[in-house]
Amino acid sequence: MRTAKRYKLLVYLLLLCGVVITSTPMLYLVSTSLRPNGSLYEYPPKLWPNRITLENYHYVLFKVDFYRSFLNSLFVALTTVVLSALIASSLAFCLARFDFPGKKLLFAAIMATMIIPGMTLIIPQFELAVTLRLVNKLGGLIPFYTAWVLPFSTFMIKGYIEGIPVDFDEAIYMDGGNAFTVYRTIILPLASPAIAAVSIFNFLTAWEEYPWALTVLNDLEKRTLPITISGFFGQHNFTLWGYVFAMSVISLLPVIICFLFFQKYFVSGLSSGGINH
Amino acid sequence: MTQAVLKMPEIPKRKTIKVNYPFIFLLLPGLVVFLLFTVYPIVKLLVMSFFDWQIGFGQKSVFVGLKNYLQVIKDPICRKAISNTLIYALVTVPSQIVIGLGVAVLIHSIKRFKITFRVLYYLPVITSWVIAALVFKYIFNNEGFLNYVLTDLLRLTENYIPWLDRPATGLFVAQLLGIWKGIGWNMVVFLAALQGVPPELYEAASIDGSGKIKQFFYITLPMIKNTILFALVMLSIGAFNVFTSIQLMTGGKPAHQTEVALTWMYYKAFEARDFGYAAALSYILAMIITLITIMLFKYFPKDHAQRIGKLT
Repeated sequence: MRTAKRYKLLVYLLLLCGVVITSTPMLYLVSTSLRPNGSLYEYPPKLWPNRITLENYHYVLFKVDFYRSFLNSLFVALTTVVLSALIASSLAFCLARFDFPGKKLLFAAIMATMIIPGMTLIIPQFELAVTLRLVNKLGGLIPFYTAWVLPFSTFMIKGYIEGIPVDFDEAIYMDGGNAFTVYRTIILPLASPAIAAVSIFNFLTAWEEYPWALTVLNDLEKRTLPITISGFFGQHNFTLWGYVFAMSVISLLPVIICFLFFQKYFVSGLSSGGINH
Repeated sequence: MTQAVLKMPEIPKRKTIKVNYPFIFLLLPGLVVFLLFTVYPIVKLLVMSFFDWQIGFGQKSVFVGLKNYLQVIKDPICRKAISNTLIYALVTVPSQIVIGLGVAVLIHSIKRFKITFRVLYYLPVITSWVIAALVFKYIFNNEGFLNYVLTDLLRLTENYIPWLDRPATGLFVAQLLGIWKGIGWNMVVFLAALQGVPPELYEAASIDGSGKIKQFFYITLPMIKNTILFALVMLSIGAFNVFTSIQLMTGGKPAHQTEVALTWMYYKAFEARDFGYAAALSYILAMIITLITIMLFKYFPKDHAQRIGKLT
């Protein structure tokens, strides 16, 4: 009995050590954003500042156009989430429920594109964006983000729809409904847990996407958060870490709040997360 | 299902599909987006890789055959970049799986604070690559926190280590960042797998007198084999996607020695404007990762049916 207790204590200690190691960078991020800008390279460096100040946040929120990047990112991410939820769920519904020529090929192609690193397509996609006049437009990001998250979303939602009894569909058809009616009254409500799970990942993907936005957006007022944050860093390099990290903390807030609220979907949604960059 | 069909013989299967032709309108948006924004670029990329491709109006692209591919294969920097990517995968993938699985086993074995630990370990996963890269850059800077601890506090080295200015250490920091950011995802995936292992197996084993370590190797590991394969595939693909961390922390410096495949491809495309070269490199990359994925599926020992992607 005694050894069992000691073993348990050891497990908790190990887990605690791991948490300390993994969260130190996050803590350092927050603490740096809270210290006066002048003392950023003070000697000796401290994990937690002596004097806590909100001056970095004040500057970032009221002195520069940072809020605009925040709104830009929010707009792009939310639109991507809604669009991809609608498109992926309807595509998944068709793949799960109907037979049509080329269906197997289509699904295989969708699966295969999940293997290829998204960035390898950046050149032809850039040319496509030029042709469709989507370059240097905030809304121009959305179709590409939607296309990127589509395979994974479709795959996940399709798996879930296949678990919904076909009898429900048939009842609607008997009442004279068509595919739209089934989609609206059966599939959307019943597959909502799967749609919610992928939507969280889609939000994250659009919210933090860096290389594509960097490539197609030029104007300052159209920039999304990752571009503004890294651009601000590049511009002023060493001196202004406080501002950069204050921006970082603010841009992390919606994600963390969303994560805490939808924690159980994150877990059930499993995959993605560290993958699509 | 069969019962339902028996009860309603007047509705043959073919007819239901015919009646519901409007499904085509549900299929179209996804099909169009997929074909236009993904399939078309894949085909276009292949075409580009055989041309000295020019972007812009009035400029002519010249067909050059396999010249781009030969250039990619002969380029020493490109070889360096691809080998850096492979090393990145070889270092980060097993580390993430081992640590992630370890944390999952520990969290699985406790009763209290389960969710708290799960949330805390998951935080790096939802931190964006840009922010994570900047934080690591700050910590590993010459005058950064780590150098202070190593040199001034513990007196392990005489001088500050220029972590991000040297090829080996620069890549090491990127690998460390990759592992740090990936542990949480693995933890969640393996935690779900561990919950699927029937507890009776462990009970039987402990009655037979086998210890915890033996149980882990003879029960846990074989039972979560498919999840390990799943993680291997996803993480290998993820490793080939590494871009933002290198781009922001080292920028490929010094002298392109810390480039990975995608940063080098990006440099070739948007700095050197050699689109044909970059397209050929993209295709080679896509083929390498596809090959790795196929090999993993083929040679990884498995005995159960695939369970990948089932929402639980």
